[in-house]
Amino acid sequence: MQTSLPSSSSSNAKPEMKEHCSHRKDCLKMIQLILDGEATDQQLARLKVNLESCQPCIEMYHLEKEVKELLTKRMEKRCCPEQLVATIKSKILRFS
Amino acid sequence: MNSLRIAYGKRQFTLTFMATIHEVMSDTPTRDDDQLLPDGDSIDQPSADTPSRGYTDEQKYQIFNKEFMPHIDSMYNFAFRLTTDEDDANDLVQDTYLKAFRFISSFEQGTNAKAWLFRILKNSFINDYRKKSKEPAKVDYQDVETTYNSEDAEAEHTVDLRAESVSDLIGDEVATALNSLPVDFRTVIILCDIEGFTYEEMAKILDIPIGTVRSRLHRARNLLKEKLRDYASSMGYNEENED
Repeated sequence: MQTSLPSSSSSNAKPEMKEHCSHRKDCLKMIQLILDGEATDQQLARLKVNLESCQPCIEMYHLEKEVKELLTKRMEKRCCPEQLVATIKSKILRFS
Repeated sequence: MNSLRIAYGKRQFTLTFMATIHEVMSDTPTRDDDQLLPDGDSIDQPSADTPSRGYTDEQKYQIFNKEFMPHIDSMYNFAFRLTTDEDDANDLVQDTYLKAFRFISSFEQGTNAKAWLFRILKNSFINDYRKKSKEPAKVDYQDVETTYNSEDAEAEHTVDLRAESVSDLIGDEVATALNSLPVDFRTVIILCDIEGFTYEEMAKILDIPIGTVRSRLHRARNLLKEKLRDYASSMGYNEENED
């Protein structure tokens, strides 16, 4: 089973790093709640523990964070065309 | 059976364990998806109590300019992401703002104008544009959801992708991946990740329960990651250093 040990070099002080997570789907849901700012304190505490002890959770966390940042920061934001703003304003004035 | 368990030991264990966890968490969405897409122009009744506010004309223009217009860039982006067409986006934004003005008496001054406007835009899109849109709408949300609810999907719920593989993707690639998702999935990602709405606001904008927001978002992200993975691997970002 244990063919590769990633970071557990020599120190025994650190908690055992889990190579496999047996509830990835639920962990993933929890990670998304946390990144969306919708998690409870309890869920936050649970993630904190997982991020110290569960390799798959660490990787999922980084991936989810990266994908969210791609969407928030790297997508082109367009401005509404001036012409459209002008049209809307003039139509509104003719309303009532 | 025993040999099966040896061969697929890990997976079997995973599946049974997950089922238990799932019961405990019990966050399965309520399945009232038939009321997902109200046919009527439901913006006319934004909430149970819709007191018609007797705004004067002056107040109406003030609300329109101070509370509605500041969101026009966000609205335009939303419209463009939904329609993926500049002319359609123009029409959709214009229709939405005119509607918003017409029904301004059902808007309570000082409340969440952005969510209110997004809800009108979303409904206009469904009622007026989606029908005539040329997008492959055959991939219906319900179908996709069923696919992703199947046992196979359970086993494959996490997309095999590394953060480093996507970190070099550029905006255009992300946009293309996003645009290739069925519109219902695309919508939740836009609202949550691009526009920063809370789950509660999204539930109101989309007229669905919060549990459905959560699960649809989860599935949408899995789909998006699959698309991103395809991109990343086609670009050669995907190293195969499985040790």
